[in-house]
Amino acid sequence: MFGKLMKKYTICALLAVLTLTACDKVSPAGILIANTDVDDRIKMSRDYYRLHEGELFLMKKAENGEYTFLVGADSHLTNDPGRMREMLQIGIDDDDLFYAHLGDIADTKAEYYIVLDNVILEAKEKYGKKHFKPVTYMDDYDTPHTIYMDTVSQKLYEVKDIPLPFHPVVGNHDITNNGWALWTNMFHSSFYMGYVYVENDGFDYFDRLIFLDSASGTLGEEQIDEIESHFFEADFPYMDKIKIRHTFVFGHTNIFRPSASEFASTFTREETYYLLDKFDHWNTSIVFSGHVHDWDERKVGDITYLTLDTMCEKNRPEPGDYLVRVHVKRDGSLSWKRVRMNYTP
Amino acid sequence: MKPNNKIRRLTQRLLAVATLVCCLAARGVAQTYNGMHKYDGTHPNVLTSYMMVGDNIITNRYFGIAASYTRHLTDRWHVGGDMQVQMGKQLYSVDVQGGYRLPVKWMDFYLDGKVLYNRYQRWGTNEIMINLALTWETPYFFFRIGETYIHYNMLGFGYTEPLTLTIGTGVNIRPRWDSWNIGLFIRNYDDFYYEAYNINWGANFWANLKKDVQLFGEVNLRPAGSLSQLATEYEKSLKLGLRYVW
Repeated sequence: MFGKLMKKYTICALLAVLTLTACDKVSPAGILIANTDVDDRIKMSRDYYRLHEGELFLMKKAENGEYTFLVGADSHLTNDPGRMREMLQIGIDDDDLFYAHLGDIADTKAEYYIVLDNVILEAKEKYGKKHFKPVTYMDDYDTPHTIYMDTVSQKLYEVKDIPLPFHPVVGNHDITNNGWALWTNMFHSSFYMGYVYVENDGFDYFDRLIFLDSASGTLGEEQIDEIESHFFEADFPYMDKIKIRHTFVFGHTNIFRPSASEFASTFTREETYYLLDKFDHWNTSIVFSGHVHDWDERKVGDITYLTLDTMCEKNRPEPGDYLVRVHVKRDGSLSWKRVRMNYTP
Repeated sequence: MKPNNKIRRLTQRLLAVATLVCCLAARGVAQTYNGMHKYDGTHPNVLTSYMMVGDNIITNRYFGIAASYTRHLTDRWHVGGDMQVQMGKQLYSVDVQGGYRLPVKWMDFYLDGKVLYNRYQRWGTNEIMINLALTWETPYFFFRIGETYIHYNMLGFGYTEPLTLTIGTGVNIRPRWDSWNIGLFIRNYDDFYYEAYNINWGANFWANLKKDVQLFGEVNLRPAGSLSQLATEYEKSLKLGLRYVW
């Protein structure tokens, strides 16, 4: 009797495991031990950063002393790239200085990353057509070929190399089922920083952008060590003459839970308090996160914490205000608003 | 030597000592502990004390001591209090708790409440947790479910988290009343914290040294990101302590 019962439960458990492991979004074994390590990701990102510091430093110049940027989260792209395409189109059309994505950009499957790669390539071409001068030449086979020239720097770009200002962080669903290889192949680094340079009335200001790898629900030992070694307080040669005005932090895992019915892991107790204290130390203006697929807005002292709803067409098929745009004005003040997405599958 | 190696060596030594003591104690000393809060009928007072060592990615190595007292008011009702000091982490905790036991055949059901205060000195954070939980306990198995209210103050603001589900389960290889035992557990809480869906797990043991003294210990792995399906090393710890009844 007992043996029969055990056999029945074992078959049920095996079926459940097989069903769950077949799903692109679920990795049941990861509840106890993950198949990817945040420390490994940080080591790889740090090595990449050292080799490509110029690219990753992300210095951007704000024209006329003001700028806007766009933020989206949790697109969970599969075969339908509608919302991802819409986000990039909105950013290009409205001249946002950059577009940040808060992770879970695609569910972990190679074919979804091919779809994502095509959408980004498409956006690069649109961005090139808008901001650069197309130069057409005939290649060795007498086929017309277009490249794009940045008329300020005189740099020439193939479409795939156009510097689309799209900056994602990594989310947990990007890397379950060993998805880090796919993610890093496209975006390289999960832990990086940048500055927006603002020249205003004869003064130089810098707004700092911090991109954290919080996909594992913890920053991990390596990332904490880097933070404590002042990675995000890097010196300029003339650091004493410039002023960090705003700091914006982008990460995947949320600090605040919008409601009791969300069962996604947030940070552990000590790490929550460590991060709240660190954001305060950095004089952060806005902390952006996603992960729970629900909107939450909170003000803690001078810091605004925005948890963005998912923009995924499967989870939110109706049009809605899934994106956020931040406007940093000439006088240094900032405002933000939610931006509507209209794509429906 | 790297700190992690030191912790590993210390853990191995403590485990070896604990196993040895456990084996020596397995000679059938009378019981001092037979359930989560079950009154043995003759010793209404329970004093528990343990030391802990651990390593946490935020605070690095830490060492702590904890003590608790439980008074069985009747065969069914109990009250008590606990406290801990964790050096390194700079965490100081105190709680009061109480509960009711309902025996049903060979099982026990417990309704327990706890009010816990934590002071995270490093970040100037005061944390209050109130937990209410129902436990189903059998000789080899327990299952616990409840809800936790969590409120904290730091940097001049206060925040109350949405109610947090408390859930845990465990098994042991021998009946709960045996003179020694080894078990496995998985849960999202510990003696002095309740987590929002980060699941810690490990193994524990107990062994009666004398009629009124029991040795117990626990190895606990506390990952982050469990329900993100990316459980990642966050903290590991070891507890070793004594329980005395009179």
